[in-house]
Amino acid sequence: MKTGAIAAARLVAARDLRLAFRKPSQLLQPLLFFMIVATLFPLTLTPELSRLRDAAPGVLWIGALLSSLLALEFLFRDDAVDGTLEQFALSGQSLTWMLFAKTCTHWLLTGVPLALSAPLAALALGVPVPALGAMIAALALGSFALSLVGAICAGLTLGARRGGVLLSLLTLPLSVPILVFGSDATRQAIAGAEIAGPMYMLGALTVLGVTLAPLAAAAAVRIGLE
Amino acid sequence: MSEFLAMSGYGKYLWPSFAIGFGIVALNLVLALRALSSAKQQAKRRLEMSP
Amino acid sequence: MNWTWFHRFGSAPYMYGFARRWAPWFGGVALLLMLIALYGGLVLAPPDYQQKDAYRIVYVHAPSATLSLMIYSTMAVAAAVGLIWRMKVAHAAAAACAPIGAWFTVATLATGSLWGKPMWGTYWAWDPRLTSELVLLFLYFGYMGLRAAIEDPQKADKASAVLAIVGIVNVPIIKYSVNWWNSLHQPATRLLGEADMDWSMVWPLLTMFLAFMLFFGAVLLIRLRAELLRRERGASWVREVLS
Repeated sequence: MKTGAIAAARLVAARDLRLAFRKPSQLLQPLLFFMIVATLFPLTLTPELSRLRDAAPGVLWIGALLSSLLALEFLFRDDAVDGTLEQFALSGQSLTWMLFAKTCTHWLLTGVPLALSAPLAALALGVPVPALGAMIAALALGSFALSLVGAICAGLTLGARRGGVLLSLLTLPLSVPILVFGSDATRQAIAGAEIAGPMYMLGALTVLGVTLAPLAAAAAVRIGLE
Repeated sequence: MSEFLAMSGYGKYLWPSFAIGFGIVALNLVLALRALSSAKQQAKRRLEMSP
Repeated sequence: MNWTWFHRFGSAPYMYGFARRWAPWFGGVALLLMLIALYGGLVLAPPDYQQKDAYRIVYVHAPSATLSLMIYSTMAVAAAVGLIWRMKVAHAAAAACAPIGAWFTVATLATGSLWGKPMWGTYWAWDPRLTSELVLLFLYFGYMGLRAAIEDPQKADKASAVLAIVGIVNVPIIKYSVNWWNSLHQPATRLLGEADMDWSMVWPLLTMFLAFMLFFGAVLLIRLRAELLRRERGASWVREVLS
């Protein structure tokens, strides 16, 4: 049965990637959103790079969180609407593994591009070049954790009215530890200090998420499909 | 008595704290009783409507 | 071991009767203990060496804080019992806990804020314990919001149960944040054994803890009755109980 579960998961992942690349413009939207949010802060706070540098960790991480929330709506929405999600649940294969696969592709399509293009926003916010590598690593890891947590909440709000805002309200408190350590790592990197501490915590949170989130998400989806 | 109320100068923090704390305690009781009575009313209405 | 007594708790009419009978007792004893604790804490206990009389806020702040965490845990456990054993009564209990817990979290934040001003010079600080207590309030709101947003009562029960269980990770973070990080909030004070506080200050605090817990029990039982009525629709026991 284990081989069946992973093979099914691989098929789900491949399907998701194929579907996503049919509408490449949709892939760009969360990225654009992130860039726009990052631009709004210098416009509304201050154009001084030295002061923006202090705010940069917060701006980058809140931007990442918001664009992740936007993209989360579409994690399960299309599949729930056309009945595919129900088929997954009834297939006899592990729903947990399939949802984990969906979460991973979601991260590959939103979190990773965001982490890789964050240097553009970061440089505009005065982040020094040596800090960029660490920043990308932290954002990549943190966005994975955010996708995992978001998957649980997306599953829970499947059957809810006006799920969009509720999804954000549910995800935000649960993402606080990720935000705290992620922005801490970025702040340390900007200051040129040791980032191992917060990165390890971020890693620990991600491991916790990987082990528990798909289970919770599968439970939530089954409840929503009843 | 005025010493008691002044609480060595901290009275203006202490008494509002107790007021808020025990006010919330009392409020919880009131809200719970109201929830119960409205649930009873709704249940009665449902019973009357059904055959 | 005869487990019938435990299974009775799964029966809605039994729990309704139990709640109706015991809530007044829980409430009455709670009120009495509160008055005793207030007298002990405000009148009998001496002023603190450093904080003078300001420390007395502890008598309302600490029990509220403990309760905000305890109620969330109770809610999560009840939700888990409801999910695993499919007990409607357990789901009803979880639903009943939420508003009470949220209010005590508000009380904790408010009384803590009023204590912080004279002690730390600020009404608020973004330190780990305060921040995670605030997050706890958001979790309560999220739980109640999710319940309200799902039409089907069974789905609402189960979905909010999953949320409550997922959110339990926040509780140890709040409790141990003062140990794990350099926090503005003071670390835990030892009350018993090698106590950090004089007994005359400790016994009113312990009494107040007990009083608040019994009070929670009373209010929970009242709200539980309301939840049970809402869930049982046209069941025959409802007819009997309301006439």
